[in-house]
Amino acid sequence: MFLRILDRLEETIIASLIAGATLLIFVAVVQRYALGVSWLYPIFYNINLTWAQELCIYMFVWMAKFGAAYGVRTGIHVGVDVAVNMLQPKARKRVVMFGLFCGALFTFVVGTMGAKFIIGLYPTDQVSPDLELPRWIIFMCVPLGSYLMCFRFLQVAWKFWHTGHLPHTDESEVEGIEVETPVRGPAR
Amino acid sequence: MTSAFIFGLLIALMLTGMPVSIALGLTVLTFLFVMTHVPIEAVALKLFTGIENFEIMAIPFFILAGNFLTHGGVARRMIAFARTMIGHWPGGLGIAATIAAALFSAVSGSSPATVVAIGSIMLPAMLAIGYPRRFAAGIIVTGGALGNLIPPSIIMVLYAVATSGAVYLGPEGQKVSSASVGQLFIAGVVPGMILAIMLSATTWYRAWKNDYKRIPKATWGERWYAFKDSAWGVSLILVVLGGIYAGWFTPTEAAAVSAVYAFLIEMFIYKDMKWSGVPKVLLASANMSAMILYIVTNAVLFSFLMTSEQIPQTMADWITGSGINWITFLLLVNLLLLLAGNVMEPSSITLIMAPILYPIAVKLGINPIHFGIILVVNMEIGMCHPPVGLNLFVASGIAKMGMTELSIAVLPWLITLLIFLGLVTYIPEMSLWLPRLLGMM
Repeated sequence: MFLRILDRLEETIIASLIAGATLLIFVAVVQRYALGVSWLYPIFYNINLTWAQELCIYMFVWMAKFGAAYGVRTGIHVGVDVAVNMLQPKARKRVVMFGLFCGALFTFVVGTMGAKFIIGLYPTDQVSPDLELPRWIIFMCVPLGSYLMCFRFLQVAWKFWHTGHLPHTDESEVEGIEVETPVRGPAR
Repeated sequence: MTSAFIFGLLIALMLTGMPVSIALGLTVLTFLFVMTHVPIEAVALKLFTGIENFEIMAIPFFILAGNFLTHGGVARRMIAFARTMIGHWPGGLGIAATIAAALFSAVSGSSPATVVAIGSIMLPAMLAIGYPRRFAAGIIVTGGALGNLIPPSIIMVLYAVATSGAVYLGPEGQKVSSASVGQLFIAGVVPGMILAIMLSATTWYRAWKNDYKRIPKATWGERWYAFKDSAWGVSLILVVLGGIYAGWFTPTEAAAVSAVYAFLIEMFIYKDMKWSGVPKVLLASANMSAMILYIVTNAVLFSFLMTSEQIPQTMADWITGSGINWITFLLLVNLLLLLAGNVMEPSSITLIMAPILYPIAVKLGINPIHFGIILVVNMEIGMCHPPVGLNLFVASGIAKMGMTELSIAVLPWLITLLIFLGLVTYIPEMSLWLPRLLGMM
């Protein structure tokens, strides 16, 4: 139950962030050109969108951190699997587990470094240049995203150990076309 | 010694099949804890600021635009357009498949998706009029190879990002500024068109020599209708190129505008997509973008480590000192990138290799724009050459052919691609002529 809420929350956050950032920049471009049109000028002149670029960057940084965790669940983080897939099943299982634990270790270390950094940053009054948001809030995405990603690595490792199944994203999927494409992996 | 340790560890970690981004990050961490005095705080800061760059944000936008248009309906319209224009030539259906694949891969941004979209429609059509299976399959594999040369191109954005900021000295000690996204986009146009012509010529020649059956000529009415229908999708390329060239918007803004544009035509003009399909596209795009941005973050750490250890500079001095000239260097670069292209995906290769190779290229007097185009062409060929190019895998499923047979089938076009790579590598003017003509460099 808790896991399902977490999954949905993760998906909603990253999908809304990418949609929001796209609209934001589009509106900022339209507004800039609308200012050049004389009869539109009175409507738009007092809307100041100089902060749009900065907000877009932060939205995408947040999307990147949480999306990276989501990506572990969907198996989009690919590596060089040519050598591993040539191993015997038993050896392969060990190497893949090693890789997953390395992922968990790295994201845990990064999350902890991020948390320490924020603790150091919290007492200072540093704010971002345009939005004037406290910087520690903006940087919260690093520990949150990394710990979530660490959790996802462990989750995938647990599932792989018990079922031998790794998540996989099909890069060649095209909406509106149905064909069987072979999975690039040990299954072949 | 230091560089041997770094690269040895990186390669060992990558061979376990772990994500490239994790391998990069762990290499940096291990090195920091074991061998260096770089303060860990400096690295922590890089974790936050590594992707705080508006240029990089073009990537999620272009991926989103591409995903809106990665739809069977868009592929069908582009095929209809190419088919009515040139279908009646010898091998016309094959040339139409190449042209449609070039257009589709340019707007969708994905070479394997192009193989599926164009292949699953065109392959049965080509077999139906009597083309041999090998001939048809060879066209399908290589068609998508054009995509990254024709803007919008994610690899070009990554190359610009990976090489920007640093100032390196050219052969005469002058400062060389790195290539911008806009320059690279414009520079890709001429090589892209030449490659489209070369691939089509290969198809045409083989069809003409073997006298394959032709399809009837389309009427002007049919042509006009197919053109009108496909123009909405194709004009995405013009929106991006024209917008950047005319100075209407920056590349990142162009990417955001093209994402909205792609959404609007898909929803309200082509009507292929329902509102309920939008979240799925958003989620898939966010997933893909986050993966690339995660590699970017860790690659930034990695190149920060290399710069602080002076590795690229040392390598550049060593190469120039050993008397290797630019001709030999580019040959080695091509071999290295083609090899890497078989085992790694293009964005990782670009982010790892570009910061290492770029200072050497600059030192040898190679133009940064020209070097970027060479890299892009290599990434494309890497996807379709044996033994394990990704496009071959995807195509073998559609064509129901084994990898060995498909590798033979693809040979004529693969040789064309390699000849093209040679031309692009050793004729810098091919890439530099248009940007210079337009006064962009």
